[in-house]
Amino acid sequence: MSARADPRRMAFTAFLCVAIVAGMTGLAFAAPPLYRAFCKLTGFGGTTQVATAAPSRVLERTIEVRFDTNVDSRLPIRFEPVARTMTLRLGETGLAYFRVANPTDKPVTAVAVFNVAPYKTGAFFQKLSCFCFNDMVIPAGAEVELPVVFFVDPALADDPDTEEVTQITLAYTYYRSLEEAGDALAAAQ
Amino acid sequence: MAADTVDAAHDHRPSIWDWKRWLYSTNHKDIGTMYIVFAIIAGVIGGAMSGVIRWELAEPGIQILHGLPWVDQTDPDAAKHAYNVLVTMHGLIMIFFMVMPAMIGGFGNWFVPLMIGAPDMAFPRMNNISFWLLPASFGLALISMFVPGNGTYPGFGGGWTLYPPLSTSDLHHGGASMDLLILSLHIAGASSILGAINFITTIFNMRAPGMTLHRMPLFVWSILVTVFLLLLALPVLAGALTMLLTDRNFGTQFFNPAGGGDPVMYQHLFWFFGHPEVYILILPGFGMISQIVSTFSRKPVFGYLGMAYAMVSIGFIGFIVWAHHMYTVGMGFDLEAYFIAATMIIAVPTGIKIFSWIATMWGGSMTFAVPMQWALGFIFLFTIGGVTGVVLANSGIDTAMHDTYYVVAHFHYVLSMGAVFTIFAGFYYWIPKMSGYRYNSFLGTLHFWVTFIGVNLIFFPQHFLGLQGMPRRHVDYAEGLAYWNHISTLGYWIAAVGVGIFMLVLIDLFAVKRRAGANPWGEGATTLEWTLSSPPPFHQFAELPVIKPDAHH
Repeated sequence: MSARADPRRMAFTAFLCVAIVAGMTGLAFAAPPLYRAFCKLTGFGGTTQVATAAPSRVLERTIEVRFDTNVDSRLPIRFEPVARTMTLRLGETGLAYFRVANPTDKPVTAVAVFNVAPYKTGAFFQKLSCFCFNDMVIPAGAEVELPVVFFVDPALADDPDTEEVTQITLAYTYYRSLEEAGDALAAAQ
Repeated sequence: MAADTVDAAHDHRPSIWDWKRWLYSTNHKDIGTMYIVFAIIAGVIGGAMSGVIRWELAEPGIQILHGLPWVDQTDPDAAKHAYNVLVTMHGLIMIFFMVMPAMIGGFGNWFVPLMIGAPDMAFPRMNNISFWLLPASFGLALISMFVPGNGTYPGFGGGWTLYPPLSTSDLHHGGASMDLLILSLHIAGASSILGAINFITTIFNMRAPGMTLHRMPLFVWSILVTVFLLLLALPVLAGALTMLLTDRNFGTQFFNPAGGGDPVMYQHLFWFFGHPEVYILILPGFGMISQIVSTFSRKPVFGYLGMAYAMVSIGFIGFIVWAHHMYTVGMGFDLEAYFIAATMIIAVPTGIKIFSWIATMWGGSMTFAVPMQWALGFIFLFTIGGVTGVVLANSGIDTAMHDTYYVVAHFHYVLSMGAVFTIFAGFYYWIPKMSGYRYNSFLGTLHFWVTFIGVNLIFFPQHFLGLQGMPRRHVDYAEGLAYWNHISTLGYWIAAVGVGIFMLVLIDLFAVKRRAGANPWGEGATTLEWTLSSPPPFHQFAELPVIKPDAHH
């Protein structure tokens, strides 16, 4: 409290400030994994869940599932659902096919990003297996049909936030794998 | 009166022509002066950019941008990119190189030590490096405008928020321009963090005897809250910028969905910094307005503790409302409801401040000197900006208004008229103290009215344009929007005349040399800086001032 302040006290204050700066920097870099874990845990942003077993109960109530497919401009494949929509009961296991074609004369590797809308249904959309879990190599000139096995958790009907939902859209976006995108860019340059 | 009457001959004040005085300066007043001069230069450059923007938007179509010397005249896309670069750089320059240096570096450096009775800042050499990092940073930002950014087009045109993928994709801004901009902001951030540490150490350890925290002038409180915001927010910006840099150059995938990243996470990180940043830009202004309104009402400020803790709570709430800048990313109903409610709560402490300023004037013996005119103009215009802020806080309305001129009008009312008016108010309040000379009051009043009319003419019509759906960051617009755009550009020319009058004020001030005396504002000016000579001695408070409990703030 005097203008001729104690240098040790000043150094301590400055040290605390530096610690705050270091802590906030650390938090900034901790954000990406925390953000990902948060989305996975809560279904935030329509993040779908991974299930190991089909649910024990199936409700009478039905829900319409729509399929949306997008392909990045740098990935030279065609990708579309065999059927645009399907209707199934809550808790019933559904099987949907997607058609993928590679019209080029080289194999391409594709990686998927996916979620559901409305976002609040992310916690209830359970996938038992999906082609989207792993990178996908499509041979030159090939055309294949790929399955996704899923169900909509019957708990959706019990949650007051989601009980009015009658339609869920499952969206996929395919990108070229990073190695190939880098190679293609290098070749273009 | 003068607690510190050091004879000028023993003051050790070097000549202003001695370059070492400035380059090696460890004197808080000299460094503050350099900050203010730097802010004026950057403000003129950033203001000239906004002039080119308004000139371009005076009529539909692309008028003038293909006439810029570095823009390919035959390629309309080059002109569009040049427009985007101007908009981006105008924003960054005004925030990082004009408002922040003027308020925190300039007035903060000058008056925090004086107001708390300290001889200088806690770490004078660190203060020197804080300042000298800024010209380096500004240089990098200016160079970034002239090196390849988007393909061969020069400069970064992705907006001041630097969102990926525009800022990371090799398809959009693969050139060195964005890298230079990242480094520039890193250096500006380092400068501000060092400054913040310096202010915190000074305010906590170097107050004069009797100057308890609850007796500090409100300007010192405002700087204290501001530098804490800097300390907590800037490292997050530094982190986000570093992620951009490594995404661009070292193959990380923080924001690239193809590699498992998420571009929306950048927006969360950026606005976790960005929202406190807008309070960083206005809080020191709040402090200055409190001093000025109190001085020219000849009353202590109404509700001193409420005013101080209103700033603390604005600073705190400022950290938990960031996603109201990104309602359109689709964050879900519950989160939107939270961010709407939290955002609206900020209106409560802000309202406390506005009403306390009015209550300070109530029954006061008011005089309408030039700083008071600017302060009253600020209170009026900032309130208008605050009202549109409450409108935009609602996600339903914001979904329609997002990225329209309504938003542009809102943030220019709180910054271009809020923050800038407080800077001019502070300038006219303290320049007699800083220079030792009084300015020509007629010119100061003229400067106020011309600027007041000019900026209102620029930005009030932009509310209408936004409501009609005119998007921001576009070089061209539909013909139906021409009328109010024309009015808005007319307003710019009036405001530009205002800047010219300000230059006349400066020339007149130093040419005519009217002696100001220690306290030109009379009994209303009660803070410690008015007990010193004008300009204050090079090293002040050789004898410590003692603050008594009944001294008002």
